[in-house]
Amino acid sequence: MRQYILRRLGGMAIVMFVVATIVFVIVRVIPGDPAAIMLGPDATGADIAALRERLGLNEPLPVQYAIFLARTAVGDLGQSIFLNRPVLQAIAERAEPTLCLTLIAITIALLIGLPAGIVSAVNRGRLADQVALAMAMLLASMPAFWLGLIFIQRFSVDLGWFPVAGYGEPGASFLERMRHLLLPAIVLGLNSSALITRFTRASMLDVLGEDYIRTGRSKGLGEPVVVMKHALRNALIPILTVIGLTMALLLGGAVVTETVFSLPGVGNLVVSAVLRRDYPVIQGALIVIAALYVLVNLAIDLLYLLIDPRVRY
Amino acid sequence: MMRWVGSLLVAAAMALAATVPAAAQQPQPRQGGALTIATIGEPPTLDPMESTADVVGLIAQHVFETLYTWGDGWRIVPLLAASDPQISADGKEYVIPLRTGVRFHDGQEMTSADVLASLQRWMRVAVRGRTTAEIVESMTAPSPTTIRIVLKQPYAPLMALLSLQTSAAIIMPANKQPTPLTEFIGTGPYRFRERQPDRYVLLSRFENYSARSDATNMYGGRRTAYIEELRFVPVPNAATRIEGALSGQYGYVDSLPVESVARLRGQQRVEPIVFPSFGWPLIFLNTRDGVTANPGIRRAIAMSLDVRDMLEAAFGGPDFYQLDGAYYPQGWQFHSTAGAEGFNRPDPARARAMAREAGYNGQTIRFMTTQQFDFHYKMSLVAAENMRAAGFTVDLQVLDWATQLQRRPDGALWDMFFTHGPILPEPTLYSFFNSGAPGWWSTPTRNQVVSAFSSESNPQRRAEIWGDVQRLIYSEVPIIKLGNFNALAARARGLNGVQPAPWPFFWNAWLQN
Repeated sequence: MRQYILRRLGGMAIVMFVVATIVFVIVRVIPGDPAAIMLGPDATGADIAALRERLGLNEPLPVQYAIFLARTAVGDLGQSIFLNRPVLQAIAERAEPTLCLTLIAITIALLIGLPAGIVSAVNRGRLADQVALAMAMLLASMPAFWLGLIFIQRFSVDLGWFPVAGYGEPGASFLERMRHLLLPAIVLGLNSSALITRFTRASMLDVLGEDYIRTGRSKGLGEPVVVMKHALRNALIPILTVIGLTMALLLGGAVVTETVFSLPGVGNLVVSAVLRRDYPVIQGALIVIAALYVLVNLAIDLLYLLIDPRVRY
Repeated sequence: MMRWVGSLLVAAAMALAATVPAAAQQPQPRQGGALTIATIGEPPTLDPMESTADVVGLIAQHVFETLYTWGDGWRIVPLLAASDPQISADGKEYVIPLRTGVRFHDGQEMTSADVLASLQRWMRVAVRGRTTAEIVESMTAPSPTTIRIVLKQPYAPLMALLSLQTSAAIIMPANKQPTPLTEFIGTGPYRFRERQPDRYVLLSRFENYSARSDATNMYGGRRTAYIEELRFVPVPNAATRIEGALSGQYGYVDSLPVESVARLRGQQRVEPIVFPSFGWPLIFLNTRDGVTANPGIRRAIAMSLDVRDMLEAAFGGPDFYQLDGAYYPQGWQFHSTAGAEGFNRPDPARARAMAREAGYNGQTIRFMTTQQFDFHYKMSLVAAENMRAAGFTVDLQVLDWATQLQRRPDGALWDMFFTHGPILPEPTLYSFFNSGAPGWWSTPTRNQVVSAFSSESNPQRRAEIWGDVQRLIYSEVPIIKLGNFNALAARARGLNGVQPAPWPFFWNAWLQN
């Protein structure tokens, strides 16, 4: 297994190199200039050229690329043009809201999606199944920004249960910060639960038709034991894959939700960086996101070992 | 009987209350509290010299101060200067007396050495400072309380440039002015405490603030920091800003879509602040390169536009805009109707004939706009259709704001672009006054009139010459003004002492509870 992990980590280095190169090219191919944005709409061409020089944006692209790769290789993602701080620091500052939002959202998604999927599969074709499927369809088709705004209006403005937006006042306690994450996490959790419900249902239906399930029932095992112990455990691998992918996506920044709720997370950082053409932040954030994506998938692959002893690497 | 007596007493009390002067009923300012201000986004920098972005000026004006500022009616009044400058008879020499005993946030006392170093940095770093540097012959500090500026030629906009909040000539300690700024040390009523990008900029009351003693007037006069802490939080999503205002989470919410005013009216926790005639939607034309370098074609384009339709599409109703051709609304020093008689007379047939006569033969007109400002996009859509109806071939290029900003300096890439700006108290602050700025308006007549306007120091005479400038703009069409639009903000009902202003300020404001 150690060899497998090393092999995957080696593959990860190649993925990182490809991602870094693609991101470097893309941010320079798209039009827009950080100097023009920084100086504002009244700046002249000469002003912009002078600032570009100061920011080191006038170096030839191959030189910029070589510098970028050399720095990235030693973990230096550069300095943000706008934030006046190292990119890694900027990302680290935004890690807490994104990480916590992901964990709370995924917990909510699991609490809804897993039971709904199981109930739906066990009651295939009955009312409970149809209700669960309809709910999943509804939640999947509601855009997060719309659901977010509706929830803000109802639960924050009308009822005053949650803050509208932001991540707490300066000096806010951890609990207060988490209170600000609850509503966006519910929005994301509801959205994500739809996918988990459908995958759980499909996977459970596959397993529930297997011979060993019939054998279990014929041995006189109770239905809860058959479903929760024998069926669910065997159905978990595809479900875990979906959970992993969802988690990786959320870690990369739930861009729309973070924007609607003005959360200072990684998604918001990337959006702001793109709008400002803050090249080092776009590059650095996307590299970190890609690394997280690969690592989460590796962790999920390793979890298969725990769930299914037949899996060998 | 008792009820009757009670009613009589209540009536008497009400009558007595009615005789109490209104001022006595006003809530009295009180110290303390924290105010959360929702802004349209994260400031690109906190150095107001480096940027012309309004959000930078809005925040930084609480920390940094300029020599002069804007008083009631947009008069220029002293701030860190002790009084108006002594201007020589030929208009070339300005001697500015400085206030004494003014403390920076780090405890140092302001001297002319700080002012000189700051103004020199401004002429190196700021877009508007660099323009001014071309006219400045010398700048010296003859005494610790005096600054002397000698110009190569008379330049009336100097005072306005020394007053403006963006690309601002702020005064900082001479020994703390690196570029980019690493410390934010000013003389303002609030001091910088902390910045968490995309989360907040935190300012706290400067206890040793050296306030002026003269009466408050707009940005000028006595400034008192009643509120202990100001928190500027970026909330880029307009819908979230509205909900945040309604819920009472924010004490002040900047830049709301005007159509949301109905939701804000009659609310318990919040009330709208409408700023009428806040700014202009504008189309810039490329007067140097391509098809729009031909003034006849530019006039034909202006003739094709139905400004009312454009404003309706963008703002939804006349409550939110003014169909006004004058560049300065009534009541402003520079208000003039010269040349504006041709404003909004859409006539597609005549526009087509004018274009043909000017030599237009179907060349594509590249028109840059953006969806980042919703009204830009909506107005541009209508304008493009108006132009097509008059026979123009229009390539409407919808770009993100960053791309538009990048393309503007290259005249080979565009013929027209859509933008907007607040109504500034000094016309020369607009980029179309700078012949080097995108649009590149520079004709012999323009240079003559603009030079006369810039070098005239008599306010009344300047107002008259502005009429000539406006007439020339309508005649040569370097830009097309598309009416005025209102701005909307919201304040919590507990927040007092805030007045509508292009860069809202919170000294002299206080929280009731």
